Amino acid sequence: MTRAERGAVGGGVEPVLRVEHLGKAFGRARVLHDLSFEVARGEVLALLGANGAGKTTTLACILGIVPFEGTVTVGGVSVRREGKRARHQIGYVPQTPALREGDTCREALRFLAELKGAAAARADELLARVDLAAQRDQRIGSLSGGMRQRLALAAALLADPPVLLLDEPTTSLDAAGRREFYALVRQLRGEGRTIVLSTHAVDQLDTLADRALILHEGRVAFDGTVAELGARSQRRRYVVSVNGTAAAFRQALRDAGIDASHVREDGLRWEDILTEAAGGGHEQPAEGAR
Amino acid sequence: MKTAGIVARKELRQAVGSSWLLLYAALFTALALALSYLGARNLGDLGFENFSRTTASLLNLCLLLAPLVALSLAADSIAGERERGTLAYLLSQPLDRWELLLGKFAGLFAAIGLATVAGFGIAGVAIALLASTMDAGTYALFLALVLALIAVMTGLGLVASVVSRTRVQALGLAVLVWFVAVFVFDLLLIGTVSATSLGGGGLLLALLLNPVEIVRVLAIIQLEPDLQILGPFGSYLLERTGATGASVILGAALAAWVAAPVAAAAWLFESKG
Repeated sequence: MTRAERGAVGGGVEPVLRVEHLGKAFGRARVLHDLSFEVARGEVLALLGANGAGKTTTLACILGIVPFEGTVTVGGVSVRREGKRARHQIGYVPQTPALREGDTCREALRFLAELKGAAAARADELLARVDLAAQRDQRIGSLSGGMRQRLALAAALLADPPVLLLDEPTTSLDAAGRREFYALVRQLRGEGRTIVLSTHAVDQLDTLADRALILHEGRVAFDGTVAELGARSQRRRYVVSVNGTAAAFRQALRDAGIDASHVREDGLRWEDILTEAAGGGHEQPAEGAR
Repeated sequence: MKTAGIVARKELRQAVGSSWLLLYAALFTALALALSYLGARNLGDLGFENFSRTTASLLNLCLLLAPLVALSLAADSIAGERERGTLAYLLSQPLDRWELLLGKFAGLFAAIGLATVAGFGIAGVAIALLASTMDAGTYALFLALVLALIAVMTGLGLVASVVSRTRVQALGLAVLVWFVAVFVFDLLLIGTVSATSLGGGGLLLALLLNPVEIVRVLAIIQLEPDLQILGPFGSYLLERTGATGASVILGAALAAWVAAPVAAAAWLFESKG
């Protein structure tokens, strides 16, 4: 059964998360303008955009941590009216590790399991799942950044929530940490979890997400499938292998005496597509071509 | 309420391991023992008077130390979580803000209360051994008064914690509250009485503004029901309300002081968003 099939219970694709006319201002600065989107059950939505586009604020509103305008429902439960019940249906991984450093991994998970009404045994089960069984009695302060984020993911999964919100979870991680974390996210995607993933890891977009929502200055700049996003651009990218330096290549182009050993059409980089979709510059010359 | 209980247990475990609380428990117990010993040695075998003076000294020690510890620990709780970046994560869990606040209040109160009970208990044993007479009921009442004061100050500390942006700001506010309640209020009251024609009624009303003074006067009523030690104000109380009536008024005010700050902190925490 595919995720789409799982989502189509009862005939239509059932939105598990619904955001309608979401607005948010901090003092005079308005950071979200009338956002509306839905996330279907089993769907992975990549929330994209530059720093300050409003991704983290959107997630904070979904969690009900900050007051907001508009309506947010999780599994049909209003975040504004029944915040606690709505949060029961959300597992959240913040941008930076936010678990108490003095606690051991097990203590932290058991406390959160109690809060979420999950069995204490789930703590050990999930520590094993995120490959932290050996560190279970270790203090969180002594863990690496990657381990802490995997622990936060374990915490988010404690009550087996219908929705996972991952807020740029790999920002503070090195390449190995990012790989490990996204491998776990891919596993969760394969299990048909509903995930909202705020991320900058656009190079892995097609393997991580079904849909993309691009925010630009607090407004929706694009909302569609990852495939639609990829097809949206008419631009093409070429990989050119040059015999010589970039300066020599430019010189060669100028003189129209091109000496390229191989030129082939290639897929666009996701960064280019997103920049274009978010309303950024149409042509970003490569560094070496300036 | 169940969620608040979970938070309270967690807070209690954390507070018990805090160096501040351990220092308070050790200092309080040492000073209480010293007071018990000195009380017995200097006053000789004066029976109940010896007991009264020793417990009064112990109470004065409590009125000084317990509010400071309760205010500081409570001030650090929410502001500290905010500064460490753990508050938003806690609030992303399935709990209401008031549950988090009530849980923190209960956990901190239990931790400071346990440390105080331990100090009082050890001192109580010492007093029982050194003094020829001991009124266990009065001693227990004193302990209850100190616990009530700890509850008040924990609530006030939480208010400071909720309204402050940083831990330093919260701690500064908490120390200011302690300084005013323990030292400045007395001086202000003396100055006001000297400068104005504040009568017994006015003095009683002013007294109700400071929970430390409420506890002090309640203890005096218990130890010296003739209230001579309070001078003209004691005579006023005896004439207008009697010792029992005064105890009821002051007891009700203390109960209001216990409830009001924690309710205010919960409301502020909820409305701050």
